[in-house]
Amino acid sequence: MNTHSDNKYLIACHQCDALFDKPELKQGQSAKCTRCGCTLAERKVDSIERSYNWSLAGILLLMPAILLPIMGVTLAGQYHHASLFDCILVLIDRGFFMIAVLVFLFAIAVPVVRLFGAFYLTYSFKFNKLKPSLLYFFRAFHHLDNWAMLNVFMLGIVVSMYKLIDDTEVSVNMGLLAFILLLISSTMAIAALDHDYIWQELEAEFAD
Amino acid sequence: MLTNTAKSSNLALCPQCHKLNDYPAYADKKEKVQCVRCLGKFYQRKPYSLQYTLAWNVAALIAFIPANLYPIMIIYSLGIGDPSTILSGIGQFVDQGLYPIAAIIFTASIIVPLLKIIGLFLLVYRVYTGVRLRPEKHSKFYHALEFLGPWSMLDVFVVTLLVAVVELGFVTSVEAGPAINYFTLTVIFTMIAANSFDPRLLWDKKQNSETFKEENDNR
Ligand SMILES: [Zn+2]
Ligand SMILES: [Zn+2]
Repeated sequence: MNTHSDNKYLIACHQCDALFDKPELKQGQSAKCTRCGCTLAERKVDSIERSYNWSLAGILLLMPAILLPIMGVTLAGQYHHASLFDCILVLIDRGFFMIAVLVFLFAIAVPVVRLFGAFYLTYSFKFNKLKPSLLYFFRAFHHLDNWAMLNVFMLGIVVSMYKLIDDTEVSVNMGLLAFILLLISSTMAIAALDHDYIWQELEAEFAD
Repeated sequence: MLTNTAKSSNLALCPQCHKLNDYPAYADKKEKVQCVRCLGKFYQRKPYSLQYTLAWNVAALIAFIPANLYPIMIIYSLGIGDPSTILSGIGQFVDQGLYPIAAIIFTASIIVPLLKIIGLFLLVYRVYTGVRLRPEKHSKFYHALEFLGPWSMLDVFVVTLLVAVVELGFVTSVEAGPAINYFTLTVIFTMIAANSFDPRLLWDKKQNSETFKEENDNR
């Protein structure tokens, strides 16, 4: 059916498998699949620079966001607050090991690994320290996409505040601010990462 | 109209790095090829995609039953425990007049998991039989399901936060109930089920039935 011998100039839609000629994109442009309408290829503006800055900001915010108390309650003269890390400890303490592991993975481990991953990648590109191991590294990186749930946890904070506000006095702590900033930086760091560009560069560098 | 696909041109797209690889026609469907760019091994289509989706989906449905029967949270005040299930927790929000919050939790904990389970059953059925298959519509539906998946974890995070924050000794405290385990399993299972489904099968099936029709017309 197809007579192209070199598939370098072809691109396939990852959702419907339709085959197209590879578009030449400038920064900020994207191409859509004419068959199913999803994004075929994209060139992001200043990808490396922006992702580097956001991931660096995210890494600095990690400790305060995880360890500082997010919110507290006061009732009948008693006060108690909890951080993200306390949530995990409490679950272990009460014997909910599976939930503790999963909350740890989705709300702490996966976001942390993704932030450091984005930082390491963009650092290597920015200072021209490309290594063949980056191929494996970036390949593994893709598997984490579905399992980072900082945004869901943020909504969870809002909902639990609403739940508490009726019968108790709810106070907001510094940890919440750090968590919101962490959510913004890690979202921006991942959104700025230009996968097509990174793969092309890695291929040009290491493929034979 | 028939579209040229990577499959029909003996090519295959690497799911990790989106590089087009040669996929020789003699290669068996169940054989992995190695990507020339990222060196990862992959299949042209996810093998046994429908079977895996179905299996994880059944598991999710089974876990969803105890998730709704057992209490997800027990609120203790002055030593007296008040257990609530997912649905009765939503009822409390309605009683308090917090309708937006009730709607958010109802959507995340009941509608989304059910929609995912029923939706994936439907997609598997459509691909299997090819009856009234509209890939344009169905692939958009699949993306919506995939996107909504993680948001079902909302209630688990809410309970976790409440257990951690509300710990005022005898005055009031919150404990998690056994339903939280089953509910988390439901969410994880539906996410794996959605991951197992290969949306390209929707288009393949459509293409196949159109090829068949054209051959019949030419006769
Ligand atoms: Zn497409
Ligand atoms: Zn690859």
